[in-house]
Amino acid sequence: MSCVFRLNRCGSLVTLLTLALLGTLGSATAQTFSAEQLSGKLVITGASTLAPLIAEIGKRFESHYPKVRVDVQTGGSSRGVADVRQGFADIGMVSRAMKAEEKDLHAFSVARDGVGVILHKENPVQALTDEQVVAIYTGKIINWKDVGGKDAPITVVNKAEGRSTLEVFLHYFKIRNTDVKAHVVIGDNEQGIKTVAGNRHAIGYVSIGTAEYDESQGVPIKLLSVGGVAASTETVRNGTFPISRPLHIVTRTPPVGLTKAFIDYAQSKAVHDIIKQQYFVPMVD
Amino acid sequence: MAETLSRPQNLREWLAFVLVWGAAGLVTAVFCWLLGDIVWHGIGHVSWTFLTAPPENAGRQGGIGPILASTSLILGVCLAVSLPIGIGTAVLLAEFTSDQSLFGRITRRSLDILAGVPSIVFGLFGNAFFCKMLGLGFSILSGGLTLACMVLPVLIRSTEEGFRAVPASYRLSAAALGLSRTTTLIHLLLPAAVPGLLVGLVLGVGRAIAETAALIFTSGYVDRMPESLLDSGRALSIHIFDLSMNVSGGDTNAYASALILVIMLLAINGTVSWLATYGLHRKIMTV
Repeated sequence: MSCVFRLNRCGSLVTLLTLALLGTLGSATAQTFSAEQLSGKLVITGASTLAPLIAEIGKRFESHYPKVRVDVQTGGSSRGVADVRQGFADIGMVSRAMKAEEKDLHAFSVARDGVGVILHKENPVQALTDEQVVAIYTGKIINWKDVGGKDAPITVVNKAEGRSTLEVFLHYFKIRNTDVKAHVVIGDNEQGIKTVAGNRHAIGYVSIGTAEYDESQGVPIKLLSVGGVAASTETVRNGTFPISRPLHIVTRTPPVGLTKAFIDYAQSKAVHDIIKQQYFVPMVD
Repeated sequence: MAETLSRPQNLREWLAFVLVWGAAGLVTAVFCWLLGDIVWHGIGHVSWTFLTAPPENAGRQGGIGPILASTSLILGVCLAVSLPIGIGTAVLLAEFTSDQSLFGRITRRSLDILAGVPSIVFGLFGNAFFCKMLGLGFSILSGGLTLACMVLPVLIRSTEEGFRAVPASYRLSAAALGLSRTTTLIHLLLPAAVPGLLVGLVLGVGRAIAETAALIFTSGYVDRMPESLLDSGRALSIHIFDLSMNVSGGDTNAYASALILVIMLLAINGTVSWLATYGLHRKIMTV
């Protein structure tokens, strides 16, 4: 364990050294970020999906730089974007691809996450075509018997407005949120899993990493494959799974100093173990 | 005739008996089930280390030490601000404002409306006012002040009721003895109004300690040990919410944290009712 940490520290130091050199190129007082020099408080707000991951990365960053405080707050991707624009936060967390109207922000991807459709484990339906998923979510199919299941009404679980999983899901299936006929509207991933696990006739969609973990813990849910590709962190990693999203951290101005050091650290290999620990997929480099 | 009359009456009484006991039993059963569930799942993980250690791996491992500290500080700020303001307003409303006056009516009406406002509204207000406008940022201070705003209406109204419950003869006797209004207030009315104040306190603390929506945007999400009131600190209820709804595999620690929250609540309520029966009761007797 200590060996891993030492390696991490070395890796990040090399990165920081290079950065510092690049940053102060031509300046007479070229200096590196030593543990003593880097200090201050970083406020990071945004996607709840990303919050535990960035908080853990922040803790490790703090352990390298004792004078630095990384404060991670949550509230959703839209909030992250708004807070960064207002200058209320140094870094925002956005758990989706950046939108066209967000070109004013500088985005840095830290990890990937797949979004998978889940059913209760005891639901006999094994696979759904994209058209069937669309029909179910728009209320055209309301009974499981129409897609090869039991004669039971379908409970449609949708995500709340502003959640990135919702946007990724709607974008892939080309549905407008106003057309979704939802019976249950939920917020965080784990809530989606609990809702489906507690209702045999429910259909929902959540982050694949979370669903995979819960499935392995015996929670009665199952991930459906999409377009013939099994939903797993592996297919998300190798890019074959079609519904996936990059997890971004964003800034308003090009990052410098502490902000830059943190972003570089969050994108470095030194945090890949944390990313996996939080059930996300590290970016392939 | 008498017999035919008494029979349906017995039946009615029997029905009422079943309904009343049934309703009471149902409420108790739900509470016991809830408590039992939390204790059953949580007790195994509660230990001294759990209470003092910092959370690890997004709260799946480790303890809740910093979170307990933040929760206590938030509650402390909330009470330090809301108690003096609450008692002051209640005194003004009950003792120095007539029932009919426009000021009293408007104040009471707005307090009643505020008491029914969903906590997320207070959270958004706190975020806009304390965090952004006053520049306190995500901090324990912002969270405590937001909670104080939320708790105040309940606190003021029940303290006011406490003052109103004091018989008018107390005030008349005090006046007859030539005591000043201040002396009457401090030595006679305030101790006598304490039961109302304590009811408000118990309701307010209960609401405050269980609060998530008002705190997530004010005191925030940071689970580090707070170093000052200007640091962000995660409250226990937010920790429970995050572990059960956002962090997969966080359920066991969520249960253990929920158990601690229930114990804290029971301890606070116990202390308050102990204060009510012993501490302050004696004060009135000696006056």
